[in-house]
Amino acid sequence: MSDIIEVRNLSFGYTSASVVLKDVSFAVPSGTFLAIVGPNGAGKSTLLNLMSGALRPQSGTITIDAAPIDSYSAQKLAAKVAVVRQESVPMFGFSVAETVLMARTPYFGAAGFESQADRDIVKAALEATDTAAFASRPLTSLSSGERQRVFIARALAQNSPILLLDEPTSFLDLKHQVGIYDLLKAAQLEKGKTIVAITHDINLACQYCDQALLLGTDGLYRHGPADKVLSAEQIKHVFDVQIFTGRVGQERFFMPLGKRAKDSRQINTKTDEI
Amino acid sequence: MRAETMDQLLRPRKLIVTTALALGVLLIVMLACSLVGSEDISLKAALSSPGAIPGANPDHEIFMRVRLPRIVLACLVGAALACSGVIFQALLRNPLADPYILGISSGAGLGAIFAVVAGLNWTLWGRSPVAVLAFAGALGTVWLVWFIGGLTGKFHVTGLLLAGVVVNAFFSAVIMFLTSTAKSDQVYSTIFWLMGNMAEEDFLVLWVGTGCVVGGIIALFFISPQLNALSFGAEDARSMGVNVVKTRTIAFAVAAGITAIAVSLSGLIGFVGLVVPHAVRLVFGPDHRLMIPLSAIVGAIFLVVADTLARTIIAPAQLPVGVVTAIVGGPVFLILLVKHSRKMGWLR
Repeated sequence: MSDIIEVRNLSFGYTSASVVLKDVSFAVPSGTFLAIVGPNGAGKSTLLNLMSGALRPQSGTITIDAAPIDSYSAQKLAAKVAVVRQESVPMFGFSVAETVLMARTPYFGAAGFESQADRDIVKAALEATDTAAFASRPLTSLSSGERQRVFIARALAQNSPILLLDEPTSFLDLKHQVGIYDLLKAAQLEKGKTIVAITHDINLACQYCDQALLLGTDGLYRHGPADKVLSAEQIKHVFDVQIFTGRVGQERFFMPLGKRAKDSRQINTKTDEI
Repeated sequence: MRAETMDQLLRPRKLIVTTALALGVLLIVMLACSLVGSEDISLKAALSSPGAIPGANPDHEIFMRVRLPRIVLACLVGAALACSGVIFQALLRNPLADPYILGISSGAGLGAIFAVVAGLNWTLWGRSPVAVLAFAGALGTVWLVWFIGGLTGKFHVTGLLLAGVVVNAFFSAVIMFLTSTAKSDQVYSTIFWLMGNMAEEDFLVLWVGTGCVVGGIIALFFISPQLNALSFGAEDARSMGVNVVKTRTIAFAVAAGITAIAVSLSGLIGFVGLVVPHAVRLVFGPDHRLMIPLSAIVGAIFLVVADTLARTIIAPAQLPVGVVTAIVGGPVFLILLVKHSRKMGWLR
């Protein structure tokens, strides 16, 4: 399996004095699901912006499908990488179908209209995300879970091999959280997409992701198979918080425990295996 | 799955039919308004060729030399301002944006007032110093604001907006300074210009102006899918494969150019560029492929009607058309707003 994304010796800071990412290197094999995890301010969104070409690295390289990312035009890059951002603010009341169709903008004909092939792609994306039922409603009238699915549909309609997502399940309830991850996993397994998602939900990351990148605020990072990187020791260290670790069937889970939580007395006991 | 999922998307057929119908309405309005005025003229006499009717044919003269040029001018200015408003609202992602938001108005105003106060009386290609300096002032100001906005970062709309607001305020202060030092007859003509005013232009100016404005609107139509994507912000548009810098540059340049033409022909006519885009969006939806041609036509219709009112209400005297656009447009827009805003969620 070849590496579709390669990040080598990447460093970035918003000013020359502050460094957000320092000498980060990792590779994402084609068709895998990578979770980017880490505390606030660790540079997760910055890394995603670098991987989507929105920011330029201060040093180091990012390679997408064997070509340097800055060798791509906007249109060529959009054919490789689709991005779902944290807050895509809808403007002017575009409908769901109109929004998803915008993913096909670079392929419109000279008169500014989509081809039948574009319409088929949009239709398939709407169906895959269960958004076809409200395709004609304005985006602003949807709940946040529905809206997030629309933006994933728009990303799918770009027909790109890579999907980058910035916290796709924040603000969603439990059902919609797993709904989004099921959708992403299906895109990975059925369409062979490479998925990179920033998440604060370590438990969902453990359930769905093959690989994990744990970024710390100390400038250190760990990368590797999700079950190795997302271990109790690493999480405790990186997030600086006490946790319970448990296991149900194949799934591991972590529960943070604050100083004033009911069971805070057990903080110093070893993590329990349930 | 229901069959109508994709049916609500704009089809070329719907675009062509809607645009053609709107053009038909525009032609009818133009014809109707050309017959209205302080002199009654008959359509039959007006449209007959010279010499077809024995003796003098004043109806034809009035129609061809007075009414028609002015109506064509109103179409031209209305279409330019409305389209430019669509562009500025889309690029700045701000429903309060209008063609004047980035300082075009104050730049043009400064040029015009300088021409009046300095008492210039040369002509350039048949244009008065007021028109020439207003045009130059408009383009110069947009360039200045674009340049300052560019210094704040290429994706920062807020920087551009603030630069526009501050440049606007600064130039307005200079305008007031010049006005306060001017003689009273100069003050009267500058105020009339600032309120927006139409006059009969000769056909050469109209042809050139129409060519530029229609060409600009066609150029804007061809970037309208990219403008749709830009409504979600520069970052989203870029990751969907839109060349944001190119689209923005074309859109700003064309919108500024057609606004400068409009302003140099008729002064600062307010309200058209703000209200027409909103009205069209409320009724026909936000898709720019439909918004741009329809806003142009509706802007033209609106300004032809407004100018007809301006020259007939207190005939034989004339009102500045800018006064009429606000007085007529305001209530009409509020009715639309109340009727349609419930179905469009984004006004919440």
